[in-house]
Amino acid sequence: MSLSVKHLLGIKELQTQDIEQIFQTADNFKQVLQRQIKKVPALRDTTVVNLFFENSTRTRISFELAEKRLSADTVNFSASGSSVSKGETLIDTVNNILAMKVDMIVMRHSASGAPWFLAQHVDASIINAGDGTNEHPTQALLDAYSIREKLGDLKGKRVTIIGDIMHSRVALSNIFCLNKLGAEVTVSGPPTLIPKYIQDLGVKVEYDVKKALQNCDVANVLRIQLERQHKPLFSTLREYSLYYGINKDMLDSLQKEILIMHPGPINRGVELNSDVADSANSIILDQVENGVAIRMAVIYLLSGKTALGE
Amino acid sequence: MLVLIRKARIEDTHSDFNGQVIDILVEDGKIKTISKDITAKVDTVIEGDNIYVSPGWVDIFADYREPGLEHKETLESGMKAAAAGGFTDVFTVPNTQPAISTKSSVQYILQKAKGHAVSLHPIGAATQNVEGKVLAEMMDMQRHGAIAFSDGWKPIQNAGLMLKALEYVKSFNGILIQLPVDTALAADGLMHEGPVSTRLGMAGIPALAETIMVHRDIELLRYTGSRLHITGVSTAVALDMIRKAKKEGLDITCSVTPYHLTLNDEMLQSYSSLYKVSPPLRPEADRLAMIEGLKDGTIDCIASHHRPHEWDAKAKEFEYASDGLAIQEIVFSMLIGAGIAPELIVKTMSDNPRRIFGLGNVKIAEGAAASLTIFQPAVARTLSHTKSIADNILYRGKELKGNVLGIVSNSIFE
Repeated sequence: MSLSVKHLLGIKELQTQDIEQIFQTADNFKQVLQRQIKKVPALRDTTVVNLFFENSTRTRISFELAEKRLSADTVNFSASGSSVSKGETLIDTVNNILAMKVDMIVMRHSASGAPWFLAQHVDASIINAGDGTNEHPTQALLDAYSIREKLGDLKGKRVTIIGDIMHSRVALSNIFCLNKLGAEVTVSGPPTLIPKYIQDLGVKVEYDVKKALQNCDVANVLRIQLERQHKPLFSTLREYSLYYGINKDMLDSLQKEILIMHPGPINRGVELNSDVADSANSIILDQVENGVAIRMAVIYLLSGKTALGE
Repeated sequence: MLVLIRKARIEDTHSDFNGQVIDILVEDGKIKTISKDITAKVDTVIEGDNIYVSPGWVDIFADYREPGLEHKETLESGMKAAAAGGFTDVFTVPNTQPAISTKSSVQYILQKAKGHAVSLHPIGAATQNVEGKVLAEMMDMQRHGAIAFSDGWKPIQNAGLMLKALEYVKSFNGILIQLPVDTALAADGLMHEGPVSTRLGMAGIPALAETIMVHRDIELLRYTGSRLHITGVSTAVALDMIRKAKKEGLDITCSVTPYHLTLNDEMLQSYSSLYKVSPPLRPEADRLAMIEGLKDGTIDCIASHHRPHEWDAKAKEFEYASDGLAIQEIVFSMLIGAGIAPELIVKTMSDNPRRIFGLGNVKIAEGAAASLTIFQPAVARTLSHTKSIADNILYRGKELKGNVLGIVSNSIFE
């Protein structure tokens, strides 16, 4: 039981059967997580480092919980206050950590492609926890897994991704993942936040959010990154929330119920109103819950262990 | 010093011996005899399979990093790389530290090149310290040996300043070289914007950053009636603009890099920073348009854009890695690999640049000064070690078609 890849760098490198296998494994771990003892001894002899060169709260916690519930030893590294600020290169930083006999690397990095670069210079397995504007594969896996849990097979399901598609690694990984699973993807948002060549990835573009919502089963609403506000990408948050934000009135006007997703953290009142985020349509907390099971599955499958050790 | 080149096919449309397989005897920097089966006691004999000899090649855009960044390349190591690549004449870009923007810095480069086989021709900065603010002393630099003017890797963004620069060089028949990049449009882009960059999640540089710059500069050229050379043209659209401007009779010429003739943006799939270059690698359709442009004469010259780096500068995340390839030694092999015929290589690497930049005729004739490149289009070689001290070498350890035996220039065989 193993994946076709040594690392989880991006969804673009996965086979559909890899995704299916991750889901099946996650099903097992999800059951484990319902038990009183939410832990298996599978990775007792494995040490994982969580290398976060960019801020993260939920992804880091989710990975750490996944590692601990697999009984792996974990080390956390964050860029602030580390030797990175002293000018140490990525290769040096990682080799220093590996010299202390670490087996697996979970890395978040602000530069697109950084995990691919690292994979060429170190031996350990690497899990990409988000790289620049490129990929966030475990997020896409947990998103697809959450949809599958609610709606069954993804084939033919229509998913709309709304917001800053241009700078979103969640969007890109979601597009690859949903495409591989046979879902139809539409992206929506202000044209300045939609990449010019996005249709080449096999998605539809709909600038009118309402129309996009009308024709979907699931809306995955992305976070507007307030820190990008210095770029002339849209006018004001007020205008954004008025014309691209999702509120209850908008959902009520649709002909059918749709699922609402968000990778978090939410800017309440900007891309998503509270009356939607906390509504029955929202599966945002299911996503968070499933995140741990998915990450356990990925870490376990990449570790090359053959039995759950139970 | 006596050098004998045996059984070489002469590739020089200006020479009476063009196309003949013949012996050439060089004595003290001059071609003494051209004839069949020369027998003479000489210091050096150059012979081999299917040897070609042509007037010395010219690289019109290479970055030797000295002064200031000698850990990447020096004038000394750069000239050795040039000789190994078959270049007798090299134009050095002004983006050194400090920049080549005064007479004395021009003289420094010329002084350093004295006594070497390779002749260096510094490109003077068009603006002081390549800052794009105030015109540099171009006239004074030209009088003391600057071959042309450019802000090199930092193309002039301000249209008003570019207009003044084009006007200013008219009185001394100077020529401006521009790398066509609008930096506001290129912005934070890391590679060519297109389906590949979208798939890779990398910020794109739209082709527009090049086409708008070329369009602007053609308009400025038409207004000023000056002379302009666009180096590193890489998009089909910009090339077509140049094609039309030439037909119109404007004094515009252009060059292409070997990597835009041989590589496309698919190379970036592995996120390898080696392929981070300026201008960025383009889609296959643009690459094919560059080959077409070279063949139909729209593209006049080959510019290596040789840009050396130490290992550390490239062994980084793509975004943080420096751009450029150190390829001067394999330009010929890359062109042969792209299916460019030896005649066209000689035309674009010797004939055209010598004419455009006024380097003088060096035709292969008895009594003429010997500036020769000796090469073997059909012979393969393995790129084992390089003369350049740079690490960002393409095709290291690979077998490449097309071999350079050396140059005879400034009375030296190297």
